[in-house]
Amino acid sequence: MSVATASPPLTRQGLRAARQAAWVAAVLAAALLAGICIGETPISVTTVLQVLANRLWGADHALDAIEAGIIWSYRLPRTLVAGACGAGLAICGLVLQSLLRNALADPWLLGISAGASTGAVLVTVAGVGGGMVAMSGGALMGALTAFALVAGLARLSGGGPGARGAGQIVLAGIAGSQLFNALTSFVIAKSASAEQARGLMFWLLGNLSGVRWPDVHLAVPAALIALVVVAAHARSLDAFAFGAESAASLGVPVRRVQVVLIGAAAMAAAVMVSITGAIGFVGLVVPHAARLLVGVRHGRLVPASALIGAVFLIGADILSRVLIPGQVLPIGVVTALVGAPIFAVILIRHRGAS
Amino acid sequence: MTRLISVAALLLAPLMAQAAPTQYPLTLDNCGWPLTFDGPPDNVVSIGQSTTEILYALEAQDRMAGTALWFNEVLPAYAEVNEGVERIADNMPGFEAVVNKRPGFVPTMFDWMIGAQGVVGTREQFADLGIPAYVMPTDCAQKNNTVGADGTRLADFDIATLYQSIDEIAAIMDLSDRGDALIADLRAREAAAVDRAQALDLPDASAVVWFSSAHLEVDPYVAGGRGIPAWMLRALGLRNVVTSDEEWPTVGWETIARADPSVIVIARMDRRRFPADDHEAKLEFLARDPVTSQMTAVREGRIIILDAEAMHAGIRMIDGLEALTDAMADLPR
Repeated sequence: MSVATASPPLTRQGLRAARQAAWVAAVLAAALLAGICIGETPISVTTVLQVLANRLWGADHALDAIEAGIIWSYRLPRTLVAGACGAGLAICGLVLQSLLRNALADPWLLGISAGASTGAVLVTVAGVGGGMVAMSGGALMGALTAFALVAGLARLSGGGPGARGAGQIVLAGIAGSQLFNALTSFVIAKSASAEQARGLMFWLLGNLSGVRWPDVHLAVPAALIALVVVAAHARSLDAFAFGAESAASLGVPVRRVQVVLIGAAAMAAAVMVSITGAIGFVGLVVPHAARLLVGVRHGRLVPASALIGAVFLIGADILSRVLIPGQVLPIGVVTALVGAPIFAVILIRHRGAS
Repeated sequence: MTRLISVAALLLAPLMAQAAPTQYPLTLDNCGWPLTFDGPPDNVVSIGQSTTEILYALEAQDRMAGTALWFNEVLPAYAEVNEGVERIADNMPGFEAVVNKRPGFVPTMFDWMIGAQGVVGTREQFADLGIPAYVMPTDCAQKNNTVGADGTRLADFDIATLYQSIDEIAAIMDLSDRGDALIADLRAREAAAVDRAQALDLPDASAVVWFSSAHLEVDPYVAGGRGIPAWMLRALGLRNVVTSDEEWPTVGWETIARADPSVIVIARMDRRRFPADDHEAKLEFLARDPVTSQMTAVREGRIIILDAEAMHAGIRMIDGLEALTDAMADLPR
């Protein structure tokens, strides 16, 4: 795959950017609308549009209060959070894969998922916080603690610029994840009944059913901040393609870029996992799919990963609601179940490209 | 057969204490697993509050060595009796803690305690040590316990399995007189409650039974279409809006709100692991949530609070049936 292509003239580039932006907006809007229209129970598209008109433009359609509530208070926030979560996890995975030059890097590599689980279990099972801390609060604290520990360990063990430094953070992440997974199992084995462990398992596989508006106010800004920060560093990320030493020789402030980008990615992933639980597959595979579809330059790769991640998770959430009538599957099950075959198709169709 | 015996017991209720003493060795088939008792067992370890309270109702406490798996306070009538029996564990006991009592009989209310995948031990593990482990037919007859978190019912729960459980436990303990009397009493109360509910003649009344939720906003654990609460609803003429065969499926609020049941039954329990364990938190959620607050049952105050223990197969089921009937009579028309 050719890495450096000549830039087209500026005006044509501007036109193309505008067209692409419109295209992205249309895809996103279509995904959101599908997420609101398709749910556990059938509600007509007309009703959905009337509810949106009532809420957004103050229209005055007479509607069933339950249907209106389901659309505005359940489905819309759920879809928005699914989109934000998909975008956030995909960007996080992309940043880690690019910076660490490791195709298997994903958000959970930094111990974020394991730490979030430990935090959630400590709050719900061991009763830490005496009922004053919500499970998502515990998960956020756990995720950040685990990430701080992993980052600290990587630094102490000589992580830094260079290939060896990238290796250290992977090893530190593995150690941290194992430690926190063991802590989670320990807490469950020590104090939970089988019944509680089951409720937690449901959460550990990812669950969007409890998402409401306050979660939107947390997830969407987190995803947007991560997107803006990473997009602003697109050129630096390109430079990392040949390793940290090459990036440094190209004038990239390696240490600062690593800290800022990994920090932003970890924050976004921690926020997402605290709201929805650990949703696997997205952070690992979406960046690869995006790379196959739009190439390796981060100027396009970052927005493409975010868009694919958002649309993919919204789609997975829709499927989780309709795959088995009357029952909602954990979304983590659906992402891998549906995502793996899709990814296989992309891999096969692009076998000649690289 | 059991039903015949029980019906006979009901007819002969006034002439009680006529049941023949158990002939040992006693063999019986416990959901496909053969059990043999050479004599009346001692050092009974009972796993599960319902089982324990049945043994207390049979006045078998002197032959009990331990109890485990408690959900709520013991029934007040048995508070003193319960003081005299060691509580091995609040939750599930360890295998060794049970075996260490040298029990002659280990009955349980749940297959997932002692079953194919028993968390305390499998039936084979107990059989290897010569200890007869018994699962109440309420949780193993017509039920596949390997599918779904709490198993999946292959047929609607039948109250006859509760009477069968009491009958068998009483026979094993050589307390059939007391067992027959207990069953006769429960049957009479069951029939009275059903008659009273049918006299109310509620037109197309439907219900959902909300047990708890992993956290307040997520899909709640509700009573499945074939479990014990479903049996209670059916007996009293209420249609369960949940149709899943799982014992306690999670069903989205969207589905529940659209079904708009005429009555919402919520569980009251002492357990405080999830915020939604507290029935006050459930009430507060129903009133606050933008969707559930619009449900007919919430707007018209048709919410019934039912003891969680009444939703387990045991003598409290009949208490629950009566409480549900009382609450139905008090509902705004």
